[in-house]
Amino acid sequence: MGLAHAKEPLPARIWVGFSNGLLFVELRIAALLLAGLAVIILTNVVTRYAGSPIYWIDELAVFTMVWLAFIGTSAMSRLRLDFAVTFLADIAPKRLGPLIRAGSIVLIIVFGLALAWMSWIMLDPVGIASAGFDARAFAGQTFNFLYTEFTQTLVWPRWAVMLVIPLFSVCLVIHGLANLLEEAGLVERKVRSGFEEEAV
Amino acid sequence: MWTGAAFLTAMLVGAPIGICLCLAAILFLYLDGNTLLYASMPTQLFDSAGNYGLIAIPLFILIGDIMNAGGITGRIVQMALAFIGTLRGGLAYVNLVANMFVASIMGSASSQVAVMSRVMVPEMERQGYRRDFAAGLTVYSGILGPIIPPSIMFVVYSVLAQISVGNMLLSGLIPGLMLAGSFLGLIAILGLFYPYPVNERQPWPVRLKAIIDGLPTLLIPLVIVGSIMGGFANPTEAAAVGVVAALLIGWLWIGDLKLSAMPRLLMRAAGYSAIILFLVAAAGVFSWVLTYGRVPQQVAAWIQTVAQDPITFMLLVNLILLFIGTVIDGAPALIMTVPILLPIATEVYGIDPFHFGVVVVINLVLGFMTPPVGLCLYVASAVTGVKPSRLFVVTLPFFLATAAILVILSIFPFFSTVLSR
Amino acid sequence: QSQSFRLGIATPPGHPWNNAALAAAEMIAEESDGRLDLTVFHASQLGTEAAMLQQLQTGALDFAWLQTAELGTRIPQIAAINAPYLVQSTAKIPDLIRHPKVLELLDLLPAETGTIGLGWGITGMRSVFANREVNSVADLQGMKLRTHTTPAFRDFYELLGTAPTPIPTPQVYDAIANGQVDGLEADLDFSWNQRFDQVTQSILHMNALFMPMVALVSGRVWQGLPEADREILDRATKTALEAQVDELVGNEAGLLTAFEETGIAISTVGEADVADLIERYDAKWVELAPNLPELRAASAEI
Ligand code: NA
Ligand code: NA
Repeated sequence: MGLAHAKEPLPARIWVGFSNGLLFVELRIAALLLAGLAVIILTNVVTRYAGSPIYWIDELAVFTMVWLAFIGTSAMSRLRLDFAVTFLADIAPKRLGPLIRAGSIVLIIVFGLALAWMSWIMLDPVGIASAGFDARAFAGQTFNFLYTEFTQTLVWPRWAVMLVIPLFSVCLVIHGLANLLEEAGLVERKVRSGFEEEAV
Repeated sequence: MWTGAAFLTAMLVGAPIGICLCLAAILFLYLDGNTLLYASMPTQLFDSAGNYGLIAIPLFILIGDIMNAGGITGRIVQMALAFIGTLRGGLAYVNLVANMFVASIMGSASSQVAVMSRVMVPEMERQGYRRDFAAGLTVYSGILGPIIPPSIMFVVYSVLAQISVGNMLLSGLIPGLMLAGSFLGLIAILGLFYPYPVNERQPWPVRLKAIIDGLPTLLIPLVIVGSIMGGFANPTEAAAVGVVAALLIGWLWIGDLKLSAMPRLLMRAAGYSAIILFLVAAAGVFSWVLTYGRVPQQVAAWIQTVAQDPITFMLLVNLILLFIGTVIDGAPALIMTVPILLPIATEVYGIDPFHFGVVVVINLVLGFMTPPVGLCLYVASAVTGVKPSRLFVVTLPFFLATAAILVILSIFPFFSTVLSR
Repeated sequence: QSQSFRLGIATPPGHPWNNAALAAAEMIAEESDGRLDLTVFHASQLGTEAAMLQQLQTGALDFAWLQTAELGTRIPQIAAINAPYLVQSTAKIPDLIRHPKVLELLDLLPAETGTIGLGWGITGMRSVFANREVNSVADLQGMKLRTHTTPAFRDFYELLGTAPTPIPTPQVYDAIANGQVDGLEADLDFSWNQRFDQVTQSILHMNALFMPMVALVSGRVWQGLPEADREILDRATKTALEAQVDELVGNEAGLLTAFEETGIAISTVGEADVADLIERYDAKWVELAPNLPELRAASAEI
């Protein structure tokens, strides 16, 4: 055990540790968002029944669910519990299996990078900074109106609500690399959610 | 063409299906010359997940997990057993009946199969049933989950079709009972080939106790249905009320649910909800990209040259969906096909949207049971240890029965529309 | 050379706007001898109105017909057109949206949104459908009312003493049928399509609010088009919209008769009831939409 541990390169171990820490946080945030979602919906029932409905509560519920969806999916990708067809890797000869599994992880990383790039175009952080964070001036120069938009009933800045997408893409890449390091045998896989034994 | 090949390759390599769909969408935009849309993809991914009707999904998954941890599912089985008494193959019927009860609470086939195979299969095996038969029966009883109301699939469909969610849910009731009836008959016929054991004789006090113990569990469907019928809540809100009911019954009444288990339970439900929602979002992006590329128009044109009358059209739709269902599961398949097929169904062939919904949803639910991508097969296999391919073979009679019902439902709209009109 | 365009719209097939869009597409194909071709994408197939606006800005989408509720969140002057009692009957709506002061609003679009406005489309005056007897604005007091989420409408219905309640569109029928809300407000076309009369007791024809729409073309796409093509597209759009506006006004009487024949009680709000309402509304909204007095003046000229 001690020997195997000593052979693991330090940078790889740090990366996997970082990914595990991120997973720990993601799972707890996702759980809180789910509990929050139930509470929000119940609040809506109660306040409407009491005759004083809260105008923005549907929008809040929808945003809570969207954040739950992306944060939770990122966590599940680290745990490798996403819906996937694994039978090819399962029936493949011994040495081919890990290679196919590594290929599936690479595809996740490729998607994470692509989504990060598309989010970069959408958010154009350099552009908005060079416009002095003046949303209207920026929109005038670039035809990118993201920073002038607000959500309909909460009136929150649209870009802030959308941040979950770039966040998701970065987390996918971080987890993907950690999974890849483990698949390559550089680090021993120890990550657990605490609910694997509950099946599905 | 290349898009399809890329999707299949990515899927066979074992990448998550949601991510395969997104990658295929990116490739399609590139090949179609619509690269300007890359900047809109994050927004579209966000908006596809951000549909109010989808909120019911995480809530129903949470109810399922709470029911399971709270000992509620186990009591439903015991109660059904007590009602049926001694009978050759009794437990097989109990499996189906208990699944019908559970179906009236749960909206998703995969969570229902997960829960029920954990409860039913060991019990059936203990009494001398073959494990593969027990698991296969549970898988097909689980099909009732998304057909007998409530149903996530029907909610997603009504959102897409812009029709009343309540009426759509109601439309599934008679077809669901028809399926249950045909399965009951099938169990009886299969009994001629499988030597079913007779279940143990329970003394009356034990049966009475099981029934009394089981009664509080009936409060959960009562609360859900009651809050909708009573004008207290919409289906999504009823799910939230159901969460509270399951929580209170499992924790205070039955006492099997420990509050210390809640954080882990929430994390699990959140994780599985998330990957379903992401799959829905990814399928939304994929169908958006195909729509931009005018693929629906091309498919629509092709179908109209082949099908001359509504019945041919419906049968053709069944074949196409069965094919799609082998590779793509449930809600994503719904989102991909409904915007394409529904306008043709209603405008060209004059088919009732509720009737169409019933046929499409049952067909795609059947896709949960077909390889290579069959979520329920994998779920049941993970729980029971029976290989997915073996499960498919064992359940072939049920597959054929469902397909036969599907043809009847396709030809006669009556069964789907009588309650919703 | 030949070119294909996409037009996105949020309303479902069969809505007057969707029919107008299809008419425009037909005219464009005819006048260009099939060289120009326009596909209409109904029911938000290409994304929400906000997403379609973004696609117009990048040039990914060519045309979109967007409601003033959406455009008003970006351009306050456009939100002013959603103010109550700008005109007090459907018959007067065409004169209002053809008034120079209203046509001028389209000039704000290029700088503010990167799109060009080709013309206005309209729906009729909105009505309140209630599951109780409602004969005047006073009867609305204390009602839970499903309203459109635009702040302009919400503020108005709050002034009337109702509790505005947002309900997603597919669930409105169920919500009113099972009593989650006491009523809803919508235009008559949509209401007839959804058969709200089957789940309510009475209609109060408000003659206060209507929801117009602007036919937009992407600024980037427009720049890249030859003058002759722009002319065809512009003319076809304007012709289709003119027809839509006139036809909609003509249909209102028929819709009201159709509702009357179902036996539902219909009342109409009179001008005398509402003078102070207008004052209280404008006190708040003149800050949000500074051109509101200008539009009121324009409406007085009609
Ligand atoms: Na169900
Ligand atoms: Na399948």
